Amino acid sequence: MKPQRRVPALVSVVALITIMAAGVAGYGYSAPASGPNTLAAPESFSGIADPLERSAAYFTELGKVLTNPRCTNCHPAGDRPHQGDVSRLHQPPVFRGTDGFGLETMRCPICHQSANFDPGRVPGHAAWHLAPREMAWQGKTISQICVQIKDPARNGNRSLHDLIEHIGTDTLVGWAWAPGFGRTPAPGTQMEAGALVKAWVDSGAACP
Amino acid sequence: MTNLAVTINDRAHGPIDVRDDLTMNDFLREYLGMTGTKFGCGAAQCLSCAVIIDRPDGTSYTSPTCIVPAVSFNGKKIRTVEGHAKNGELTVLQKAFIEHFAFQCGYCTPGFLNEGQVLLERLARAPVARAELETTIAEALDGHLCRCTGYVKYHQAVRDVILADPSRFLKDGLG
Repeated sequence: MKPQRRVPALVSVVALITIMAAGVAGYGYSAPASGPNTLAAPESFSGIADPLERSAAYFTELGKVLTNPRCTNCHPAGDRPHQGDVSRLHQPPVFRGTDGFGLETMRCPICHQSANFDPGRVPGHAAWHLAPREMAWQGKTISQICVQIKDPARNGNRSLHDLIEHIGTDTLVGWAWAPGFGRTPAPGTQMEAGALVKAWVDSGAACP
Repeated sequence: MTNLAVTINDRAHGPIDVRDDLTMNDFLREYLGMTGTKFGCGAAQCLSCAVIIDRPDGTSYTSPTCIVPAVSFNGKKIRTVEGHAKNGELTVLQKAFIEHFAFQCGYCTPGFLNEGQVLLERLARAPVARAELETTIAEALDGHLCRCTGYVKYHQAVRDVILADPSRFLKDGLG
């Protein structure tokens, strides 16, 4: 009796796996398996036949960077930056100011030097400042960020090709992969992120 | 190691070789023995460690010292709490702090004093309307933490100094 009972069970398991696999393949936006703090290379998306679905998949993978605290902390929803891997509100209380470099009484570069200062646990870069309010990513979905980042009115008046440079080579963006003591770097590398942006732009910049 | 030369309260210090990982707070307190500048939270969240930095153009701002490398102060002119009183005479703001019982343990006082002094100098250059004064003071002192007397007495002390000389600090000169 036991073998007779096990056959239907095995069939059920196989059927379930088949259905799940078909569902994933049919969705089409899924990225290749990559760890939470790694980025898949554009080549690894070649299994997605539809060009626009593949393009959207590139952005979904890139979204691991864009929604990372290293980015969203200074692309905040509001006028105060956040800090740390848990994105708590910045202390001491600092505000955007008119130019994104803080209020007159507390400017970003007073504490944030031209490089990380690990003894003080302070991140640094010569151009340390907040992204403009219209470029807020905090709390948004990857799809919402995708639509936003293509809009020159909400991306710093950049073309799609400018985004390849901005994310792929800008040194302030690059800080996200070398954030200093106590902060987890953004997933992958800046070069890998730049390659994903280029693949996304070259494939039609479709949004997930 | 980096060579550091800094002017503190009009007195030149250095050049002296300091470690690149030395904070300005440790430089002041441990190298120079200037313990008026406090070490509080160590994370620039209480600002008891704030000092005044004087720009060449005559304007000034405050900076925490606990999280900032000493070498970043190379070539700069700064003021600490030790530099306010001259010849044993307290400044108007220091006297106001005492009159208002603004501090108890005094640990936060150097930071508040430096911030208040920068505000007074800023208002002397660019007065604000009386209607903006409360907000201006609150914004200036924002970020400084006090665990004893609270913040109202510091605020009142700064306000009294300003209102005692309205033609200097206020646009409309209304006390």
